[in-house]
This record gives sequence, structure tokens and C-alpha cells, in this order.
Amino acid sequence: MSLFLAQVLKVVVIFAGLVSAAGVSTLAERKVSAWIQLRLGPNRVGPFGVLQPLADGIKFFFKEEFIPQGATRWLFLLAPMLAAIPAMMTVAVIPFTGVIATVDGTPIYGSIADIDIGAIYVMAISGLGVYGIILGGWASNSKYSLLGGLRASAQMISYELSMILVILSIVAMSGTMNLREITDQQNANSLLGFLPAWNVFYQPLGFVLFVICTFAETNRHPFDFAECESELVGGFHTEYSSMKFALFFIGEYCAMIVMSCLTTTLFLGGAAVPFWAEAPWFVGLAAFVVKAAFFMFLFIWVRWSLPRFRYDQLMALGWKVFLPLALANVFVTGLVLSL
Amino acid sequence: MANLLFYLVSLGAVVGALGVVAARNPVVSVLSLLGTFFCLATIYLLAGFEFLAAAQILVYAGAIMVLFLFVIMLLNLGGQERPLMDHTLAMSRRLPLVVLVGVALAAVSFFAVARSGEAQAAAEAAPLQVDTLGGLAQMVFGTYLLPFELSSVLLLAAAIAVLVLAKRERGEAGR
Repeated sequence: MSLFLAQVLKVVVIFAGLVSAAGVSTLAERKVSAWIQLRLGPNRVGPFGVLQPLADGIKFFFKEEFIPQGATRWLFLLAPMLAAIPAMMTVAVIPFTGVIATVDGTPIYGSIADIDIGAIYVMAISGLGVYGIILGGWASNSKYSLLGGLRASAQMISYELSMILVILSIVAMSGTMNLREITDQQNANSLLGFLPAWNVFYQPLGFVLFVICTFAETNRHPFDFAECESELVGGFHTEYSSMKFALFFIGEYCAMIVMSCLTTTLFLGGAAVPFWAEAPWFVGLAAFVVKAAFFMFLFIWVRWSLPRFRYDQLMALGWKVFLPLALANVFVTGLVLSL
Repeated sequence: MANLLFYLVSLGAVVGALGVVAARNPVVSVLSLLGTFFCLATIYLLAGFEFLAAAQILVYAGAIMVLFLFVIMLLNLGGQERPLMDHTLAMSRRLPLVVLVGVALAAVSFFAVARSGEAQAAAEAAPLQVDTLGGLAQMVFGTYLLPFELSSVLLLAAAIAVLVLAKRERGEAGR
């Protein structure tokens, strides 16, 4: 019974944490962009503008719902849900911290579901997020939306390949797809006696490839061709308003958060605190949040620093540079492992 | 509980499959197929094949169906809805073939169901252990390495053949 309660509690806490983190990220996006551009950013609602996401949410609820003429109505309504749900589902296997407690001899892990196919589960479910974008773009019956949806589908397929190949190298090194075991292995020993044995030191190329692929996978700058306001008005969400528009945004930010968490898990030892092996679970959780927050900051930092690519450059980069590099990475990893 | 879920997703898979052929709009057809794949993945999960379920979603739902949607949108097939029975005439000429394939499929399913007891007994006598990742890898990369690799080469050859054929057709049309 208490096991069941603990499970329900974990689901509620992690889900609420994800959604509120998405809200905080929208504020962080505006604050950091203001900081980079020497502005103040939103500072009217609450102290230092911290209540701005709440005000935004209320505003979205009271905006007019609008469905364009000629739109395929049920798909138009379904698309925002399809965009938000996969991003929220993937968080289930992320091990946020080590063992929290032991109930009746069963350890309670820091993830909602401790499954053996964690790594492949994340890729399978997060790949479904693109349906929301494609269908939203198609159902809107608008040329800008359609082009945005088309671009999203081509882009996601291209970069998912490299991403999965990088994960394959990690899985080959660890010998498991369970994300908790992958983090545990990174913390089991040390590198050269002083560095933690994180995968980022073993797979530097894989790390760089993976981080860049997460940008393409979440449709973020400099790869945000699904939106691309300078050529496509708003891309796939041109025709969306009110909470449906907000759902696309929540989905995008949730996907960014999950990808940050996944990078932390695969490459930075998850909840490990360097030089403190027996850290209690809440310290581990804090360490995890700090590491993931860095990648969230990176998403925003890059957005406000780099110009957008051209679309053909994006596809050429994905197929002619990233895919061969990721394949070579898998090959070298296999070679080293078999020696 | 598991039984109820099984019948529910089986029904879903059949309804989805019917939707693929009955839908007037190609995009709805793709979505129906997507629903069928999800129901199949759930059945794999219920049977204890976690990896197979994840691979099903990753490969079919995550990549191949996205490609289908991409092609449909690129050719703008969604623009004109096809009438429900416009291929009745074309069907009638191919009717013998349709019946033949239908009968063959029915026969295969019938034998599969009829011999399922045998298969179960064989599975209990010598478990294949494909339900764990290591066991599956052992089968694919050990026992059945050669057939597995050969079939992937066959798929590659088919993909290249399609590319060559499509290219030649377009080249001739251009001339």
C-alpha cells in the first residue's frame, strides 16, 4: 500500500515539477534574452516579474479561440494535445536522483518508472512529438503552417538518426539501456584518479553531437525552421490562438527540459555530486537540477546569440556531417570496447 | 484486467486497420494506421516483449509514418478527398487476385490458430528467452546472425532498386 502511495506521490510531484519548470523556463527565456540584449525584461508582475508566467497563463485562457475556415476541425483541435503529451510522457523514465527510501525491502528510485528499455523509450516517445507539429500545420489549411509542418517532419527524422546512434554508443559502453544503471555506472569509478568517470569524458564527440541534435529535435534556434518567423510568419502555429497556442509552447518547453535531463543522465552522471559519493538523495536531486538547468540556459543562450541556419544547410549538416560522425563514433566505440 | 485490455486493444487494432482502407482522406488513413501500430505495441507489451513494443513505436510510429505524412503533404494529396468507392471498377479486374490473397491470409491465420497449442507446448519445452534484451540480442546476433543480416541486405537492395526505378521513370518523362 505504501509502495503504491509512494508511486502516486512520485508521479504527482514529477509531473507538477515538469509543468511548473516549463512555466519558469518561459520567464527565464525572457529574462535571459533581456540580459543578453542589455534590457530589463518583464519586471511588473510580482517582485522582479516572477509572477509573469501566471499572468501569461491567465491571458491565454481569456484569448479568443479561433479556428480558420477550411481547417480540418478535429485534427486542428487534436494537434496541440499531440504536441504536449509525448513531451510530458518521456519524463517518466528520467532518474532524477538515487534511491529515496526503502519500503518493505523494495527500493524507491528517483524515476517514475525504472524500466530496462529507458533509453529507447525516451527516443520512441519523444519522436512522436512531431505529429502535433505536422498535423497542426496540415490541419490549419494555411501555406505557412503546411511548410512549417513539412520542415519539422524532415528535420526530426534526420536528426533523430544521429541522436539514436550517439545513444547507441553510450548503451554499448554501459551494456544496459536502463537509465538508472547508466548513471550508476558513471559514478562507480573515477577517471585518472580524480575526474568522475562521466560519459562526457569518454564520449566527447558524442556529447557535442547529442547536444546539437537536441536543439534540432526540440525545434529550437538555430534550427527552428518549423516556426521561422522571418519567412513563415509563425510556421506550424500561425493559425493557433489562446490555450491551443499555449499548449504548443508548453510542449516545446517540456521537450527542452526532458532533453536537458536526458543529456544530464547520459553524459554528466545524473544525480552524482563530484567528490561526494555518499550524498543523500535530496543533494543528488539538487545536483541534477543544477546540471539540467545549465542545459536549459544553453538552449536560451544559443537562441539569443546565433543566427538561424538556412534550411538546406540544416539538412546537409544532418545527413552529411552528423550522421557520418555519429556512425564513426559508434564504430570507434565498438572497436575500443572489443580490444 | 490484462485480458480486458487485450481485447480492447485488439478491437482498436482491427478498427484502425479498417479505417486505413475506408478513410476518404489519406491523412486520416495514416492516422488510423498509427492507431493500429499503437494497439499492436500494447499487445507486445502485454505479452512481455518490452523491446519489441518500443521498437515498434520508434521505427513505425516515429519514423515511417512521419515519412508517409511527409510524402502525402508534399504531394498535397490531402487537398482532394477521394470518393469512397472510386476504385470499384479497378477492383473488379483485380478481384481474382484479391480473393486469392484473402483466402491465403485466412488459411495462414486458421493454421496459426489451430496449431497455437503446439507452439505453446514447444515454447514451454524450450523457452526462447526473447523477452529480455540480452536474450533477444543473443538470438539476433548469435543464433540467427546470418539470416538476420541477409534480410537487412535484401531490404537495402529493395530500397536502392526503388530509387533506381523511380529515377529512370522521371528521367524518361522529362525527355
